[in-house]
Parts: sequence; structure tokens; C-alpha cells
Amino acid sequence: MNDTVTYNEQELVLSLKAKDQQSFSYLYDHYAGALYSIVLQVVPDKELASDVLQEVFVNIWRKIESYDPAKGRLFTWMLNVARNLAIDMVRSKAYQNNQKNQEMPETDFFEKAGNTIQQNVDNIGLRKIVNKLKTEHRVLIDLAYFKGYTHEEIAEIESLPLGTVKTRIRSALTQLRDILK
Amino acid sequence: MNIKEYISSGIIESYVLGLASNEEKAEFEQLVSMHPELQQAREAFERSLEQHALDNAIPPPVALKQQIWNSIQLSPVAVAPGIDNNVNTHSSPSTAAPVRSMNTVRWLAAASVILLLGSTLLNFYFYSQYKSTSAQLSDLIAQNQQMASNNTIMQTRLQQYESNFNIVKDTNMAMVAMKGQPVAPQSATTVYWNKQTKDVYLLVNDLPQPGSGKQYQLWAIVDGVPVDAGTLDMSQASGLVKMKNIPKAQAFAITLENAGGSKTPTMPIYVVGKT
Repeated sequence: MNDTVTYNEQELVLSLKAKDQQSFSYLYDHYAGALYSIVLQVVPDKELASDVLQEVFVNIWRKIESYDPAKGRLFTWMLNVARNLAIDMVRSKAYQNNQKNQEMPETDFFEKAGNTIQQNVDNIGLRKIVNKLKTEHRVLIDLAYFKGYTHEEIAEIESLPLGTVKTRIRSALTQLRDILK
Repeated sequence: MNIKEYISSGIIESYVLGLASNEEKAEFEQLVSMHPELQQAREAFERSLEQHALDNAIPPPVALKQQIWNSIQLSPVAVAPGIDNNVNTHSSPSTAAPVRSMNTVRWLAAASVILLLGSTLLNFYFYSQYKSTSAQLSDLIAQNQQMASNNTIMQTRLQQYESNFNIVKDTNMAMVAMKGQPVAPQSATTVYWNKQTKDVYLLVNDLPQPGSGKQYQLWAIVDGVPVDAGTLDMSQASGLVKMKNIPKAQAFAITLENAGGSKTPTMPIYVVGKT
């Protein structure tokens, strides 16, 4: 780990935008584990998740120009890059076909499916907090945050009025915030 | 709008976590620039989210950092998200091609091994065919030689029979049948005697094989006196055997004598016949 140089967030962003390799190395060393955890919560297969993580950092390197500090912290931006790429992976045809081929009794993610190593995602990161919510909230956050469905799609899947979906998700999110504090 | 209500509505979390709709986002971004307390609330949530994520970090594979560097330095062109040009296990054209050519090489290798085996088997097959054919050929050559020698023997015999037949069919030929005597009652011989040329031929119908050192001798009985008409070589007695000329005789007889013959008969008469 390269800990000879430390950056505050502003310095880090400026260095990254200047394509400074040392700052990128620092960024990786500092955040790769946190982002890997997020990716695993969406893509439990460790091998596929590390493919996604690679894509995440390549995207951060290439698209750092588009990061606007006015809209949020650097980590928030990276978190959304990671979540979006992970959801893209889960929705890809290749992944869907692979999942069909490995259809397992849906007990939990502890099981090894085929030769892939599945992470138990119930006990990591945000999942751990989401699992403390009531079922009606947990299901909606799972669909919205970890599976990437829109509120309209969730309303259809869960046969709930769109208003109810929105209210429950907002309520779940404020609970999440309180647990995180 | 009551900003405190807005802050506690869940919109901040929805915005930060990327769950807000486009209208909600636009509204939020506009309000943030106007309300520092909204920005502070957002930052507070972001920091707690970041801290929680850092606390729950899972170390990625050690080799991944180097892979990412390689990926960045090898292909500096910006890529759209979802386009997969990384070094991973999924179907990308760049990895598919070598796999296919690898397969081709393996197929070619397999095919050439099969061809080699087939060719070797054919060689064995043709070699064994050749061996059996050449064996058959030498058999046939041997048979042919056997037939040729048989043919020679047959021709010789035929010539002998023809000459015998010519001798016998001569109108001057007299036939003297000679009957077996008590020493050998089953014996029988025939003398063909040409009255004109006085040639004498002996045909052995049946005579016991003489012991070693013994030989049959033909006698012409002329006025009561036996006259030597020649000895008989039994190995040459398959047809007519030319004996000595006898101008005149009343009977013929055969005795068994010591090899080489005798001047006068010494042993018992085997066969006798009158002319």
C-alpha cells in the first residue's frame, strides 16, 4: 500500500483529473475494498465482481472529467459508477444465461454455484443494514437499490400503487440514514 | 417549501444513492445551491455512507490492481460503460479468435494423427497382402514345375505305351502266354515274338519281386534245350521289355537266377508257355 502521500478530497480530485498515476494508485488502495464490497452486494460471484471492479476503476480513470464536486462527494460518484456497472453486469444476457444454467435451490448465497464462488451478501455493507428493516421495506430497497428497478417497475412487480412504493422507499431510506449515523 | 421537511423526507438518501427520478434530481440540485443546510445534510449522509463502506471493505484479488493498470495503459480510448474490453472471462472477440485457431490446430493435429494411424494400418495390410500373394505365387510356380515334370513323365509313358502298342499290333506278332508254376502259381508273363524279325518282347503280368542279388532270366526252349533270351530288370518291367532275338523256339520259360544271369538254368521255373 502506498501511504507515503495522503490527499484531501480536493487534491485527490485535481490530481486525478490531471491523470496523475500516483493519485490513482492511492485512490485504488484507499477505495477498492469499499467498492468491491458494493459490487459483491449486487454481483455475488467473486470472479465476475472483480471483473466489474476492474471496469469501475477503468471508468473512474477515464471519466473523472465528468465528476462534478457540486453534486456530491467523490466516493458518492464512485459508488454510483460501481452500482450502475454491477447492475449492468447482472442484466447482461451472458450473466442471465449463466444464472439459468446454474439454477439452484434459492436458499442463500453461501452455496457454491458450479465453480463460481458466491459471496454471502446478506452480511456485508448496506445489505447488513437493509436486513434490519421490515420485510416490506427490505424487499423494495432490494429491488430499487441492488437490482436497479425504477419505482414504476417495482409497483408492477409488487402489485402496489406507485405512491405506496415511493412512500415506503423514502421511509426505508430515512431509516437507513438513522442506522448509518 | 419547508426545507426541514424536505431534508427529512428521504430525498437526500434517494438522491445520493441514485434512486431519485430525473425531476427529483433537478429539483434537489437546484435547492442544494440555495440551502446550505440541505448541502450539509447531504454531505453528512455521504460521509456516513462512505465511512460505512470503508468499514465494510472486502479486499479485492491482489492481482487486480496490476490488471487495471494494464487495461488503462493498453487501450487509452474511452469506453462506454457495459462495453467489455477488459481482461476477463467473458466472450470478447479478441479472446474468441485465438481459441478458435487453437481449436483448429488441435483438430489438424488430431486429423494428422488419425491419417498417420490409417496409413500405418494400410501399410501393414498391404504388406501382409504382398506376403501372402508372393507365397501363393511361389506355390503356383512349384505346382507348375510339378505339372511340367508330371507332363514329361506322362509323355514318356505315353510314348512307351504307343511304341508297345505299335509292337503288339504288328500282324507278324505271336503271343505266348506263360502260366505260373508250383513255386509261384499266381505268376503270369507274356512273350510277344515277331515271326518275321524274330524280336522277342516280354510283358510281366505278375511276378514276385526277386530277392537281392537275384534276377529273372528268360529262356527259349529250342529242341529241348534252354537258350538264354536275356535277363529281366524288374525296375524297367512296366511295359514290354526287349529281350534277345530268338529265331526258333518251342517254348519260353523264366527262372530266377543270380544277378547277371546263368549259362544254363539252375533254379526252379516260375512261368512257362508253349509257342
